[in-house]
Amino acid sequence: MIHRGPLQKIRRSWLLVPAFNVELVRTAHLSGADVIVLDLAELVPEADKPLARETIEDSIQIVTAGGAEVFVQVDPELIYADLRASVWPDLAGIVISKIESPQQMEEAHQLLEQLEEERGLLPKSLEIVAALETAQGNHQGYEIAVASPRVWGMTLGRADLVMDLRSEPSGEIHLMQYLMQRLITLSNAAGVVPLGAWWRDPDRGLLAKPENTYTAGFRGRAIGFKGSMCINAEQVGPLNQSFTPTDFEVSAAGSLLEAYREGVSQGMAVVKWGERLIDRGTAAQAQSLIDLGVNCTLRDESKEAAFEGKPVPAP
Amino acid sequence: MPQQFGNRKVRRSGLTMPVVTPRFVDNAWRRGCDFINLDLEDSVPQNLKGYARGLIKDAIPNVTKGGAEAFTRINHDLVEADLEAIIWPGLSKVNYPKAEYGWEIEKLDRIITRLERERGIRPGTVEIGANIETAIGVANAYQIASASPRVREFGGATGYDMSRDLGVEMFVGFDQFVYGKGETELAARALNQEVHTAPFTANTTGSVSDPDRAYQEAEAARKCGFRVGGGLHPNVIDPQNRGFTPTEEEATDAQNLLEQYRELVDSGDSWSNVSGLVIDQHEAARAQDLLDWRRLCQERDREKAEAVARVGEEPV
Repeated sequence: MIHRGPLQKIRRSWLLVPAFNVELVRTAHLSGADVIVLDLAELVPEADKPLARETIEDSIQIVTAGGAEVFVQVDPELIYADLRASVWPDLAGIVISKIESPQQMEEAHQLLEQLEEERGLLPKSLEIVAALETAQGNHQGYEIAVASPRVWGMTLGRADLVMDLRSEPSGEIHLMQYLMQRLITLSNAAGVVPLGAWWRDPDRGLLAKPENTYTAGFRGRAIGFKGSMCINAEQVGPLNQSFTPTDFEVSAAGSLLEAYREGVSQGMAVVKWGERLIDRGTAAQAQSLIDLGVNCTLRDESKEAAFEGKPVPAP
Repeated sequence: MPQQFGNRKVRRSGLTMPVVTPRFVDNAWRRGCDFINLDLEDSVPQNLKGYARGLIKDAIPNVTKGGAEAFTRINHDLVEADLEAIIWPGLSKVNYPKAEYGWEIEKLDRIITRLERERGIRPGTVEIGANIETAIGVANAYQIASASPRVREFGGATGYDMSRDLGVEMFVGFDQFVYGKGETELAARALNQEVHTAPFTANTTGSVSDPDRAYQEAEAARKCGFRVGGGLHPNVIDPQNRGFTPTEEEATDAQNLLEQYRELVDSGDSWSNVSGLVIDQHEAARAQDLLDWRRLCQERDREKAEAVARVGEEPV
């Protein structure tokens, strides 16, 4: 698994901003998002797309003011125009909305190769997040994930709306538990990062109240998501918080590791810790959690520094 | 994916019955269901299998005279003999139990295609219902669903046979079929077929005749976007017809939402959020879907009423 360990990228909150909305673009950096996604796909009316594309180069600079990374969300059917408008220095990658086939992924990959060369970007630096928002896309999820080495992550995006998945009497959104488990399993099999949150009624299309967003993120982290997209700036804080290990979790992981090391030094493979038994795998997971906590803190510090005008490289 | 409305069947309620029980078959047309499923499989004793299949040809016009569609459930291991006996004008669908491999469906398709030609039935009329009731069927769901264009409705992977195959409890207070239902539904959606499934509602009694429960289940399924019902007891027919049909109040709300959406589009915006109530293309599509479906239900009710009137006897 290439994206774990101390060099992991911390991308807990992904704020979707309609690229044509000048006011939202101007204020996006105030949200504190780890990633700002300039959307050229669903949130931009068809007639506003040409103008929105012209603004992307400047918008990339505007939204990075708070230390956020920038992705652009593109439409696979308009990929040529969208990518030509988007590949500029300081772009971290693209989100392909409603992607349905590995062929579309290969096409995006080729275009990025060309544009990196043409525009003087570091070759192979741009990353891709695949948004599996349709049945066809989910059906071919694994093939899509392995179609390009640029794929960094996968998400269900706004599948609940695109696939018309409605609330069940239990409050769960129909089919979502299955689709989430499937996405998380396929992502890990392909070595990419699963993004999402466990939304429930009345959450809708990545839109939820801040408190519901926190709960969705917390549940989402528990089932394997590493961060989530959202629509409103007020959802960013809850996502950053819910995808960061709590102080309690970090300190428990620390005591666990201490007990494990103590036991190992006495020649044990399995160590009793309170009511629990700790082996190598459990210890490794505790270490990952501690690393994640450290990296989250570093990420938060780098954003604060950027906000004060002191750029610090992101971890 | 939005369904193709022109081809969408209204199959809110239906009765599955052994074709060998005359009092069930003779009264079926009076029941008001959208379809009748004549069973040759598990409700027919082994020694009556040959006799039973011979009854289908006459049962088809008998059970459809009140406007219901006629289906037949055949035996998994008696495909050739059963199909020869049942593919006659008036039959809408063959239900094939315990479907496990795509080639099984291809074989059914070939036989049905020949019989349609031999018997003067418009090619492609008879649908195949591929019932997923085993672990192997779940593992091959996409191959099965995509094996023939006659498969137009797909889903399931629940029920008694699935329970037995997996060794799980049938009546519990939680959803024991999340994975299999997901696999079959994703296949159906990827192939743009009508999804035949329902949201989970706890059922710990196993009653087949509780009208209140049938209504609640139908209503929950409809609100989740599903359309297909069916059952084993006449008590559940009317609750299913009502539960799957949108109410007048819902139709009014949908019309209002569409109106607001049109105003929104005219003003150049693509969405609005008024105190948590979102109006956008997705909500508009759902509202339109509800209105279209309500109209189809009403047309279906009218068709059935006219068919019953033509028979000139009192329905029950």
